[in-house]
Amino acid sequence: MITREEVLHIAKIAKLYVKDEEMDQLIQDMSKIIDYADAIKAVSRDSDVDFDNINNIANAFNEDLVLPSYQRDEILKNREGGENGYFLVRKSLRG
Amino acid sequence: MSKLRDLQRLLETKEISCVELTEKYLDNIERQNKTINAYVRVTAEEALETAKKVDERIAAGEKLMPLEGIPMSLKDNISTKGIETTCCSKMLQGYYPIYDATVWQTLKKQNAVLLGKTNMDEFAMGSSCETSIYGVTLNPNNTDHVAGGSSGGAAASVAGNMAVFGIGSDTGGSIRQPASFCGLVGLKPTYGTVSRYGLIAYASSLDQIGPITGSVEDAAIIYDCLSAYDPKDSTSVGSKTTTHDKLKDSIKGMKIGIIDEFFDGINKDVKTSLEEAIRVYEDAGVQMVHLKMPGLNAVLPVYFIIACAEASSNLGRYDGIRYGHKTDTYKDIDEMIRKTRNEGFGKEVQRRILLGTYALSSGQYDAYYKKAQNLRYSIIRDFKKIFESCDIILTPSVPVTAYKKGEALIDPIEIYMMDICTIPANIAGLPAVSVPCGFDKNKLPVGMQLIGNNFEDYKVLNAAYQFEKLTKGSYLSPEVEI
Repeated sequence: MITREEVLHIAKIAKLYVKDEEMDQLIQDMSKIIDYADAIKAVSRDSDVDFDNINNIANAFNEDLVLPSYQRDEILKNREGGENGYFLVRKSLRG
Repeated sequence: MSKLRDLQRLLETKEISCVELTEKYLDNIERQNKTINAYVRVTAEEALETAKKVDERIAAGEKLMPLEGIPMSLKDNISTKGIETTCCSKMLQGYYPIYDATVWQTLKKQNAVLLGKTNMDEFAMGSSCETSIYGVTLNPNNTDHVAGGSSGGAAASVAGNMAVFGIGSDTGGSIRQPASFCGLVGLKPTYGTVSRYGLIAYASSLDQIGPITGSVEDAAIIYDCLSAYDPKDSTSVGSKTTTHDKLKDSIKGMKIGIIDEFFDGINKDVKTSLEEAIRVYEDAGVQMVHLKMPGLNAVLPVYFIIACAEASSNLGRYDGIRYGHKTDTYKDIDEMIRKTRNEGFGKEVQRRILLGTYALSSGQYDAYYKKAQNLRYSIIRDFKKIFESCDIILTPSVPVTAYKKGEALIDPIEIYMMDICTIPANIAGLPAVSVPCGFDKNKLPVGMQLIGNNFEDYKVLNAAYQFEKLTKGSYLSPEVEI
């Protein structure tokens, strides 16, 4: 059973809030799913290898070439309030 | 049996113009979409513009490209430059991509006619389109039932004659399950064959784009057009062989694996239809090989841990700063991001982000994520072994037929378990197709799934094609009158 404190901690790292009125239901739902996922604890490892990627791709590097990029004003189109080619955010450091 | 080819023949012989054909489909959408809710956005202007271009090319005596002039739909998680793309989430309402997904670029180059963007569960998390902000998509076969999900809109657009084919995405069955519910063919190609560039990510190691069509031949034609190496997708490898030219290969002597665990607890009517399908294959000289896969019961929890973990990481990008929803009032940057995410994401998406974050958090990482990755390797190894004794595997696509409206929202675990037949192919990156193979007592379609070894998409498609031919296409959706 996941605890209220654990849910609050997880929500903090996941950058979400959990409303008080939704807490009990969420604890119940998450506990049920985690209990279900716990089934894998009972399955013993029969190999030391962990999955890495499907087609055994070692590296995927592109050629070192300069290619055309997107226009600044295009990129800023999806956010109102951008200024001088920059995204606008609230000051996050206290000075 | 290719609707695609039939329509192109009508276009080339000028029995119908591409504009007329497009208008017929737009009319169908106008009439039916209010009830079915397959489309969340109709792109009539763009569609007619492309259709005009196609007509001009036909008039100039040009030869049509394989998908040219065909009215089709795209799932709303496939980026379309200048056309709103929302993943059916409040988080992305008003988001206009500044680039095209590679699949859409390919389709556009071929002058495929985009009719619109189709409904889906929010960020592809669900199996009935009921987590979409635009509401449920109904099943054109019976509107008391859902079309399935998460590519429910794509399937309903085809089943309701509102598109010739739909492009969807499949993370745990999201192409095959709605195809099965709607009586259509749905292909999840081998992981890495179709580019994921521009597909808005849910779980990157499982996601794959593929077609939903009215016939196997159409699925093969589309697969051949879309499968190609793409340097913009770091997991792309492209296809090793084409499929359409291999649909005529004989299946006599082919070995089909039957894994008993896939048939445990399936609905009676589904079972009867599959037994009948197995008989059809046996009569055609196919050998059935009975196999065991005891590791199968770990597949669901492994999938759920990996999918949620990847989702929690992928969806970390929605912070309200560069695009998407942004909250109105906040006192600092942390509150801005958290409020934005709370307001933008629906309940199911938030639940999966929290579960994924839990599985990746310090103290839990080894027990859940790392263990799941270890078991994933074992599952892949088990499949490799299975393919030493058979060519393809036959299973139900879904243990049941289409859910009734609202049914999928009652118990999340019970609904997650319904993906048991489709998930293994995503875990192991295998190609898998769902083909209609019967009806239940309420006349709802039943789907059969054929799973192949990596890069053997041509084998599953050929086996599916032969089945369609042997049964004279009697389980396919009725042809549209044009």
